[in-house]
This record gives sequence, C-alpha cells and structure tokens, in this order.
Amino acid sequence: MPKRWVTHFLFLAAGSTLSLICGLWFGRPVLWLLAVLSLYLANTLRHLYFLDIALDREKKIKTFEMRGLWSEIFARANSQQCKLRSRKANYRRLLREVRQSTDALTDAGIILNSESEIQWFNPAATRLLGFDPQRDMNQRIGNFLRHPDFLNYLENSDSEPVTVPSPINDTDHLSVQIIPYGIEQRMVIARDITHPLQLEGMRRDFVANASHELRSPLTVIGGYLDGLSGDQDLPESWVAPIDEMRHQVDRMTKILQDLIELSRMEADGKEVKQVFVSVPDLLKRIQQEFVVRGSTPELVFNVSIEAGLLGSESELYSIFHNLITNAVRFTPDDGKVEVNWLVEGTVAVFTVVDNGIGIPDELVSRITERFFRVDSGRSREMGGTGLGLAIVKHALQRHDGALVIETQLGKGSSFRCEFPESRIVLRHAVPQVVI
Amino acid sequence: MEIEDLRHHTSRRFNEDLEHVRNSVLNMGGFVEEQLSRALKALSDADSELGLKVGHDDHKVDRMEVKIDEECSRILATRSPAAGDLRLIIATIKTITDLERIGDEAEKIGLLAARLAGLEQPRSSYRELRNLARLVKQMVRDAMDAFARLDVEGAIAVVKADEDVDDEYEMIYRQSITFMMEDPRAISRVMDLTWTARALERIGDHAKNICEYVIFLVHGTDIRHTAMEKVEAEVAQAAIRQESDS
Repeated sequence: MPKRWVTHFLFLAAGSTLSLICGLWFGRPVLWLLAVLSLYLANTLRHLYFLDIALDREKKIKTFEMRGLWSEIFARANSQQCKLRSRKANYRRLLREVRQSTDALTDAGIILNSESEIQWFNPAATRLLGFDPQRDMNQRIGNFLRHPDFLNYLENSDSEPVTVPSPINDTDHLSVQIIPYGIEQRMVIARDITHPLQLEGMRRDFVANASHELRSPLTVIGGYLDGLSGDQDLPESWVAPIDEMRHQVDRMTKILQDLIELSRMEADGKEVKQVFVSVPDLLKRIQQEFVVRGSTPELVFNVSIEAGLLGSESELYSIFHNLITNAVRFTPDDGKVEVNWLVEGTVAVFTVVDNGIGIPDELVSRITERFFRVDSGRSREMGGTGLGLAIVKHALQRHDGALVIETQLGKGSSFRCEFPESRIVLRHAVPQVVI
Repeated sequence: MEIEDLRHHTSRRFNEDLEHVRNSVLNMGGFVEEQLSRALKALSDADSELGLKVGHDDHKVDRMEVKIDEECSRILATRSPAAGDLRLIIATIKTITDLERIGDEAEKIGLLAARLAGLEQPRSSYRELRNLARLVKQMVRDAMDAFARLDVEGAIAVVKADEDVDDEYEMIYRQSITFMMEDPRAISRVMDLTWTARALERIGDHAKNICEYVIFLVHGTDIRHTAMEKVEAEVAQAAIRQESDS
C-alpha cells in the first residue's frame, strides 16, 4: 500500500480512538464516534464532488487548501489532465496538418472500407469526380464511378490501373489507381491526365505525320540514286559517294518504316485482332529468309510444339524477326543463335538465345527505349534502326505478352517472350473447313 | 426517403439484397452509359469497327436486365417488401426496362455509325449532332446519379432538360429536311443522321422516365404525365408530408 494511504489510515484510526476516548469521558462513546465519522464522510464526499466537477470541466483543481491524501490525489489528477490536454492539442494540430495537406493535394484521394463504401475523400475528389461531401459518405464508390473498366478494376484490384472519362466531364480523362492498405481498406487515387494524354496524342500524330511526309521525298531520291548507280557513264570518282548515298537512303527508309509501324501500333490502342497465326509456319518462313541471306553465326530453330497464337500475324512476325535479327547482329561469326518455341506450364514461350557480346546489366532496363543503343557506333554500322526492341515491346504488350531479358556481358543474352494461356491455340483445336 | 432507410431492416440479408439490387442497377447504368459514349465516338471518329462492337455488346445489357429482373421477382416473392422497399423494387424493375431501351438505342446508333463510316463524312462532321449527343449523355449520367443519391432535385433538373433535347431534335429534323431538298443524292446519309438524332431523342425520354421513377421512389408520388409546375408543387408537398411523418 502506498505510504500516503498508510498515513491516512493512521490518522483516521487516531481520530476514531480519540473520539472514542472523548466519548467515554462524556459517557456517550457511540455518538461521538458516529459524529466524527460523519464529519469524515462529509469531507470525503466534498472532495469527491470537487473531483467529479473538475474531471467534467477538464479544469485545474486548486489544491492549496487541501491537505494529506486529497492534495496528493488532486495534484496527480491535475498533472494527468495537463498531459492529456497537451496530447489532445498535439493530435488536433497533427490532424489539422494532415487535413490541410490532403486538401492541398491536386489528385483525388478516396478511402474505401471492405465493402467498397466511401469513408473519406479530399476536396480534389469533389472537383475531379463530383463527389458530394454531405451525401456520398458510406455509399458504394461504384455507384458514382460507374465506368465498366473501373468496376472491373474494383473487383480485381491486382490488375493494371485504368483510365476512365471523368464522371463530371467526359472530355477529361482520369487515371485511377487502387491501393490496398490496413485491414481490408483501400485507397483510390484519381489523377487528371487530360493534358498529358493530349500531349502524348500530339507527339504521336507528329511522329506519324512526319514519317509519312518524309517517305515520299526519300523514295524520289532513292529512285534517282538507283538510276545513277546503274549508269555506265558515271565518273569513277562518283561511284563510291553514290553507293554511300544509296546505303544511307536505305537506312533512312528502314527507320521511317519502323517509326510508321510503331506509331500505327500506338494509334491502334491496346486491342489487337484475334486471328489464328501458326507460329511454326511463321518461324519456318523467317528461317528461310535467313538461310537465303546466308547468315554467319550458326542459327538453330527448335520448334517443339505445333501451337499457334491468337493475334496479328504481321506484329508477331515483327517480334520474332526483330529479336532474331538482333541476336544474329550481335553474335560473332563463329557464335551460335538458338531459337526456341515451346510451352512451359500454362504459358507459351518464344526464346532467342545467343552467345554474343551481351548487354551491360545497368543498361538492360533501357534497351527497349526508342533509339537507345548500348554501343551506338557499332549498331549503326550493323544497320540497326534503334527501333527494333521498341517495336517488339509494343507488339508484345498488345498480345498480353511479357519480355524477359537475361544477359551476361561477353557471354551472351537470352530474350524470352511469354504469351498467356488465353492467346495459345493448339493446332488441332482450329476448326478445319472442308469444302 | 433516404439511402439509410434501405439499411435498417432487422434481417441483414434483406439489407444486403436491396443494396445489391440498387448496385446492380447502377452497374448496368454504367455499362449503358459506356455503350452510348462508345456509339457516339464511333460516329464522330467514323470508326465502323467500334460501332459494330457496340452492336455486338448489346446482349450484355439484355443479360443484366434479365438478371436484375429475376432478383427483383425473388425479393418480391420471398420478402413481400412494403413501403419504401416495395417502391425500390418497382422503381428498379421500371428503370432497368428503360436502361435496356437506352442500350437498344445505343446499339442502333452504333450500327448506323458503322454504316455512315463507310460513306463520305460531311464537312460539318456531324457538328449539329454533337450538341444533342452531349446533352443526352449528360442526361443519362445525371439520371443515374440521381438514382444513386436518391436526389429529387437532380431528377427534376433532368426532367426539365428533356425539353432542350426535344428542341434540339426538332432543329436537326428541320435542318435535315432542308439538306434533303437541296441535294437528293445525300438523302440516304441524311436519313441515317436523322435516325441517329431520333435515337438520341428517345434516349433522352428514357432518362427522363428513370428520373420520374426516382421521384416516385423517394416521395411515393407519381409525376408521369404531369405539367412541370405541378410536379414541383407536388414534390414540395410530398417532402413536407414526409417531414411531418418522421
């Protein structure tokens, strides 16, 4: 027991004994004891009352007129109150700061519970999505953001973020992302991407138009150069320059073709036609092209399955052709390039493995960028356009595929394209039309 | 009636069922809105593939309608709802019919767009239609918002907006007649255009119907075939009545 209580009880016992003695002196011990104890009780009740009121008002209690146990208890209560008050003020400040910062956000933020009901949102959500702070709390978010893509995303949060037209103004576009956190809570972030989308569109149009416009003058120049190079009367000193010019015109035409192909794929959006393409036949065709060309590194085709893919033939051709050309280009003449087409588990895999020069690790993530070259001098010499892998990446994305690159500098690289189950068609499943 | 009124039953299952019906209607609405905007995009971009896709996807709307209808019948049979719950079920059954019709009109626009895409685009590239399209799209969206929020004011605003749509349609109609008289070779194209405008005008009417059901759902007053001034007075009265009830 704390010391203050021991003292308190000692005092109480002493008081009671004293009153008993006094009572015995006057011949009324019970009455005296009762009177003293009543006084004690009254005093206790008075203090309790103070305590109760003080706790209610959260105010400091004056302790200077109290003594003994009570003054100690009240002092402790006061210090607790003080602590509580400052903590409260702290929380309030913190909350205000958090609220101010979320209010200042330009992206809409919405917090959902496990039922996808709106628990909280910031003013940007009102601006971008038209949510009403008075009425829309505890309503399912799908009731206001009704776009089918978003509803789909809401159900399978692990898919990619979606772009949907704004519910207020459908010329505006929002990129919406759902982030799970806490216990079954989710946060929805919506960002206005109208302007970036417009810029992207302008860039795409510019590239597409520029490539188209450049192609016709180039064809004319190429035509004349072809004519000139075949001319018998051409002075000897002009032969080499004309050949070089023809060479450069060819290269430029190739770059333009690649650019046009890229911008066409971009303009078509994400969806690609679902036509059956026989991959073994396609690979056979590519193999023949390389045989005719007489490529120097040894080229081995391992087509172990008869499976085909659903997609666009020209784009699949681009993927395979670009990857094989790259491998051949960066593999020394005594090297070996292996092309495989197989099924692993549920995915179909196309791989090109070479033992060529490889790619430095830190550059692997960048090699699918447009015009990015590991060694610009060398690849230009080899006749690359710098767009091949960008085309591969784009075309693969349109076929729901993924590109995995493994490489070791000096030892070779492996490019691996994975196609999901939904794209694979086994040969016997294709209906044969008999006439 | 407020949204909270739909969640106060002792049976949690019943609450969930009603909420689910409401959510399904809004999901269906979202899909129909998307169908409409894709159909209109097909028209303005002369994208025949998109137009055909809209036509192809219409069966999804039909399937949604059948499913919600079944669920409503099940609730009617097993729960015998009363008052606000009953109004919700009735309003839902009517709303999905109108949504399905909007879907059909969107399909029609999509198919017309696919056909028009093959023809030469007029210089105006359907500018006159664009305004009508914008109005109608806004109406459908506002109607679904009013349904989601049980917002009577919003619903009345949509009912009023239908007049603008009718005016706009009238204008396109007259313009089309002039075009056809000026250049008989354009008749088939202009006819298709008029059909599109007609479909849009019909969609506006369906959106208006949905808003009338929202008012019925909230206040229990039927405002169909009533003049606008009377509607507002009636709604105000119903609001006062409900206030005094609670």
